[in-house]
Amino acid sequence: MVPSATGDGEFHGPSINEFFPDVIFFADTPFEINRIILIRFIAVAVLMLVFWLGTRRMKIIPTRGQSLAEMGLDFVRVNIAEDLLGKKDGKRFLPLLTTIFFMVLFMNLTGIIPFLNIAGTSVIGVPLLLGIIAYATFIYAGVKKNPAKFFRNSLFPPGVPVGLYIIVTPIEFISTFLVRPFTLTLRLMMNMIVGHLLLVLFFSATQFFFFTADGGFKLFGAGTLVFGFAFTLFEVLIALLQAYIFALLTAVYIQLALAEEH
Amino acid sequence: MDATTVLAEINGNIATVGYGLAAIGPAIGIGIVVGKTIEGVARQPELAGRLQVLMYIGIAFTEALAFIGIATYFIFTGN
Amino acid sequence: MLHAVIAAATEEAAKNPLIPEWYDIIWSAVCFVVIFFFFWKLVLPKMQKLLDDRAEAIEGNIAKADDAQRKAEAALVQYTAQLADARAEAGQIRDQARTDGQRIVAEHKDQAAAEAGRIAASAKAQIEAERQAAVVSLRSEVGTLAIDLASGVIGESLSNDAKASAIVDRFLAELEANEVPAHAAAPAAGKI
Repeated sequence: MVPSATGDGEFHGPSINEFFPDVIFFADTPFEINRIILIRFIAVAVLMLVFWLGTRRMKIIPTRGQSLAEMGLDFVRVNIAEDLLGKKDGKRFLPLLTTIFFMVLFMNLTGIIPFLNIAGTSVIGVPLLLGIIAYATFIYAGVKKNPAKFFRNSLFPPGVPVGLYIIVTPIEFISTFLVRPFTLTLRLMMNMIVGHLLLVLFFSATQFFFFTADGGFKLFGAGTLVFGFAFTLFEVLIALLQAYIFALLTAVYIQLALAEEH
Repeated sequence: MDATTVLAEINGNIATVGYGLAAIGPAIGIGIVVGKTIEGVARQPELAGRLQVLMYIGIAFTEALAFIGIATYFIFTGN
Repeated sequence: MLHAVIAAATEEAAKNPLIPEWYDIIWSAVCFVVIFFFFWKLVLPKMQKLLDDRAEAIEGNIAKADDAQRKAEAALVQYTAQLADARAEAGQIRDQARTDGQRIVAEHKDQAAAEAGRIAASAKAQIEAERQAAVVSLRSEVGTLAIDLASGVIGESLSNDAKASAIVDRFLAELEANEVPAHAAAPAAGKI
């Protein structure tokens, strides 16, 4: 986040170019690395460090660090995987759901960490990739269980009069096979983009009011600072909630694909 | 730039208005989802956990529309 | 003024955030694969093992608890049996004591009764002997007294006279003959 108050005494709001910082390494190759990519690497490193430390020496009676790691893993295992998919299928898809949950969570949280200040998920790569993986997974789950039944249940839902299939089938096709990955991606990415833009707006406005504006306008700075702080806390909640929802919806889609009846 | 043009001018992007309109529906929808969940929990507190999960799923589906609303600006300006 | 800002922004050729760049996708995939294998091969198996261990430990504890319970129950049964034995024994002892007591009391009663009988019998014999002695002495006394009285009345001594002694004997015999019915009637009227 670069406060945009330049010397010309004007206020510059945040723009979408925030999400396309300058390339640092490997310019003009498919392996370009810019600031956001580096932030993602940091998030991955922190994630692995936390869980490596938490699960290094597993004991039956957990230490404090271990119980924290266990709590996180149990949250995904019990509340998402086993709750929606049951014990057996839950165990099958647990690695994927755990990965999705913690990857999204840690990359979301970089958005409010000082000096990182931008979420790793706010550029389309990660949300799109995870959306496609979730999409591929639920189709794989359905096809592996019973291809004919999966497609019949998703395209021709039972209990609908035959004539209505002309309308229902295209709608089901669009909602199941086109909209699902798209909404998964957009929900996560837009949440993070909007959250980041709001924070930048509040803090750059604070900067502007305090250092550039004159007289009574300086008071507004206090207001924008408080709002910025409140939204920072709100972003923590959003980060958790989006990670939860992404993993939960993936589990729901898999559950629907595995269901005997639609 | 003469006076009349200046008076009639509205700065900014029409997409802002569009997003304002697009946000109405999901806002109402999420309100209904959450309200009904609270009602349900009040009736049957023992189902609170299950209902909460369903509420989040419902919110996620409804909320997606608002984010599609944001995205339309980029979709239609696209380059 | 806003024109200037917008113009400046558009000059930078605002990018569309919906269009993914290749590098973005590639590095995302790298991150995903790393995390996925980290969880799949390292963390979750450890976690699963831990859960299994924990379940096992809990089951072990349950088994231990079951064992202890069973032991406690066995001990309880044993104690109960011992208690019942002790009670039965106590009852037996009490019964024994009761019969013994009764027997002793009865014995003592018999002894006392026999003693009493013996004492009464000896007293009776003594009384009878004394009465006999009294009768004998009375008889000789009465004879002497009567002769004395008669001598007094007649005025001379009758003492050494064989005739006198014969009279006295006859008189006494008559008296005894009279006395027998009177003696027989006496118990009917009471001993004294």
